[in-house]
Amino acid sequence: MGFLAPWFLGGLAVLGVPVFVHLLRRHVTTPQPVSSLMFFERGTQSSMRHRRLKYLLLFALRFAFVLMIVLAFANPFVRRAAADANGRLLLIVLDHSFSMRAGTRFTDAKEQALALLSAKPHTQKAQIMALGGQLEVLTQPIAEEAQLRSALESIEAGDEHGNFGDLGRGIQPLGNTIRGPIDLHLFSDMQRTAMPANFADMVLPANVTLVLHPVAKGAAPPNWTVESVDAPSELSDPKDPRRSRVKAVVAGFGTPAAVKTVSLVVNGKSIATHKVNVPANGRATVEFAPLDVGYGFNRCEVRIGNGSGGGDDFPADDTSVFAVRRSDPERVLFVHGANDLRSAAYFGAALNAVARASFVLQSVNAEETTDIDPSKYAFVVLSDAVILPAIFEHTLQFYVAKGGSVLIALGTSAGHGARITLWGGNVQDVHDYARIGSPATIGQVDFSHPVLEQAQPVRDNGGWEEIKIFYAAVVDAGQARVAAKLSDGTPLLLDKPLGEGHLLLFTSGFDNLTNDLPLHPVFVAFVDRTARYLSGSERLSGSRLVDSFVQLHATGQAEGTSANVEVIDPDGHRPLSLSEARTAETIRLQRAGFYQVRFANGRDAVIGVNPDRRESDLQPVTEDVQQLWSESSAGGAAAQTADAKQVVLKYQSISLWWYVMLLALALVIAESALASGYMGTRREEI
Amino acid sequence: MQRFLDPTVLAGISSLDLLAKTVVDGFVAGLHRSPDFGFSQEFAEYRAYVPGDDLRHVDWNLFARTERCYLKRYRGETNSQLTVLLDASNSMQYSSGPTKKMDYARFIAASLFYLAIRNQRDAAGLIVFDDEVRDYVRPSTRQGQLARLFAALERAEPHARTDIQKPLRHFQELLHRRGIVIVISDFYEDPTEVVRAIEPMRFHGNEVLLFHILDRQEIRPELKGSAILIDLETDERIEVVPEYAKTAYRAKVDAHIEQLRSRTRAAGMDYQLLVTDQPLDESLREYLSLRQAAH
Repeated sequence: MGFLAPWFLGGLAVLGVPVFVHLLRRHVTTPQPVSSLMFFERGTQSSMRHRRLKYLLLFALRFAFVLMIVLAFANPFVRRAAADANGRLLLIVLDHSFSMRAGTRFTDAKEQALALLSAKPHTQKAQIMALGGQLEVLTQPIAEEAQLRSALESIEAGDEHGNFGDLGRGIQPLGNTIRGPIDLHLFSDMQRTAMPANFADMVLPANVTLVLHPVAKGAAPPNWTVESVDAPSELSDPKDPRRSRVKAVVAGFGTPAAVKTVSLVVNGKSIATHKVNVPANGRATVEFAPLDVGYGFNRCEVRIGNGSGGGDDFPADDTSVFAVRRSDPERVLFVHGANDLRSAAYFGAALNAVARASFVLQSVNAEETTDIDPSKYAFVVLSDAVILPAIFEHTLQFYVAKGGSVLIALGTSAGHGARITLWGGNVQDVHDYARIGSPATIGQVDFSHPVLEQAQPVRDNGGWEEIKIFYAAVVDAGQARVAAKLSDGTPLLLDKPLGEGHLLLFTSGFDNLTNDLPLHPVFVAFVDRTARYLSGSERLSGSRLVDSFVQLHATGQAEGTSANVEVIDPDGHRPLSLSEARTAETIRLQRAGFYQVRFANGRDAVIGVNPDRRESDLQPVTEDVQQLWSESSAGGAAAQTADAKQVVLKYQSISLWWYVMLLALALVIAESALASGYMGTRREEI
Repeated sequence: MQRFLDPTVLAGISSLDLLAKTVVDGFVAGLHRSPDFGFSQEFAEYRAYVPGDDLRHVDWNLFARTERCYLKRYRGETNSQLTVLLDASNSMQYSSGPTKKMDYARFIAASLFYLAIRNQRDAAGLIVFDDEVRDYVRPSTRQGQLARLFAALERAEPHARTDIQKPLRHFQELLHRRGIVIVISDFYEDPTEVVRAIEPMRFHGNEVLLFHILDRQEIRPELKGSAILIDLETDERIEVVPEYAKTAYRAKVDAHIEQLRSRTRAAGMDYQLLVTDQPLDESLREYLSLRQAAH
């Protein structure tokens, strides 16, 4: 023990004050003469003893308080031996990302981790974590080896994409919580694609010493993989040459030029095989057409080789799965106003251009919708239809609540103050840009919205900038998501969940009178995405990546009104509990393979889930970077030299200032309580 | 004038003669405004003449004005004998303020002597005692008696313990003539014993008055903490807690005073508690009222 500011110990002289007040001054008592002791009696001995004890206790408290204050200023600290194994936390992190399936990487890593665990002293605490798509804490810091071993053995190779940035971010709070030194042993293939974009995300806290155990030695082995598959998720006509085809890209990482056999397997049966020349360390495209599948969901996969793999050490990535749903063309109900005759033509033409035979547009006048049941349609479009029959409007509300979706185009009939059907609001104002002679343009587009989604929008705002809007209604966005705005800030496209369904509001029209959108190519893409988004076919089939999410319940739904969903993972298990099945808004797809989902609106889906193809690039991080990472923490720097390690880690100074102040606070409270009682007696005497 | 009776003021006067004169003159000046008392032969009442009455007492001036015969009666004037028994034990030395109980007793005795000799023409004597009779001045009206009494008071210094039983055996031998006996003491004795010792003087026809001198601190002591107390007479020491002094002690002193008062009055004697911060006129007033009752 020592003091960081020992010169403050001079303040111990103040201890003389309570000593004088209580011990020295106390003995100076002058006897008082009285005429006679005839009526006096000697004080009760027990009372006097109690008083004396109280007095001494008060003195002790005051003495201790002054002592604590002086010690607090002197800032005492204790040196704790920190270099021994018992004082260090052994943190074992096992990488179980998809790339660890290559060769014997995962087995080797687990064996090494178990060997390290066996070698640890019995009293040393250890903690087990698994690094996959996220950092999972499997145990608390404990010394029980059996429990630690069990946790380590329970880790299985996963399908997720590992990221060392997640490790850095996950360890930061642990480093702050555990004050002592931590030895972090990472068992990983140290894949280069696991590096985060920012190196700072990987940096570990100062008290963490990083020890890397790379299980992939030397150069990365050659690996071929099905990098991507472009296939329709919905198919209504297998003979449609534009849609009924599967295009796959076979990529090689660190590979020589080779001829690979690529097969298309549908429902476990290989229906087509092609040979493809894959250049050295390059990519080749292979196409299967037509895609002849039966009705319903078809579990398809593109596979390298004829069931024997791609001839590399990583057969798990030689397959890419996807689901294709074949169905008859779905009908789309297009309800238009009496004067709106052009919108249906434009919308129908666009829909036919992109999704021919998938959707069939049925155009109906608003006044003729009384007997129509919207549940038979994939989605409904209300174009310039301000007034609907009450029966149909009520049916539409029920339809949306059950999961149906409606696209509303306001058109020119929606004048100032007009009620917007289903939307739940009125038109606040209308902007007639044509009348003032300067049409509005689209100023802001949310490309993350499924309807407007573009991977890399070009400089002209993804083609939307050229569109001229002549007429638009002004609507209060409220809770709705604004997907596009005009240059003057007027919302153009709004999306609002309602029940299990969606309402999409277009504040202009689909004819060429209110805007020239139908005349631009972007309109076709807009209609295509809108049709897929509103019909929900986007999420019913196709393929996703591991770690992506599927929305199970609509976010805007009131609690307690939702129906159960059902999810079956590739292993045949139900990952959701009963309560989760009722409340979970999304589910994270953790395994590769086919997920079966039954949504709350009763629609079934089969989704093919593939690992992130970045995992197929087995190139490890260079040794320089590994060394840099190890040295980025103080513990790692200390590990450079054995002597330095001993010096740095042998002792750790722990300041006791905080505890001393707490003790002083407790003493002063006790002193106040005791002294007030003591003084209270004296006040009574006076 | 009242301030001249204040013991705090009187303590600053060194001469007992001057002190007594100051007290008595001030007291008498106050009495002139009172109709209750007189000091010389004075008119008492008129009474209708009946045959056989002494004609010398007829008020002839009244007869000349009214032709009716009335006798003019005067209050008779007699001489009395005052004997003061002064306790000079060590306990009388106690004081919590500027005036010791002994000084206060001296002031009372000197004032009584002055009042008795100069104003009432009474004979006055003094017996100073503790556990023995220490000094004795025979009651007399002779020239210089007052000076002798004051000198005896000056000589009376407290020492030894109080033992009223022992000297009182001699009091009977010293008191030859009936009169007024005033005992000035703090009476730290059992009230029964005190009364038993003084009672014989009453039986001999004396008017007995007990002046019980106490300090304020003796009645209501205030201790600011546990203290060691020393008995002035025995030098005994004990430690006393404030709680006791505040409760039990006060109850005991009050009971003692009450017992003393009731016992003395039951024995036909008078009792007066005098606290040393009180003016002296109470004691003089008590003496005069006793003297009037004696006649």
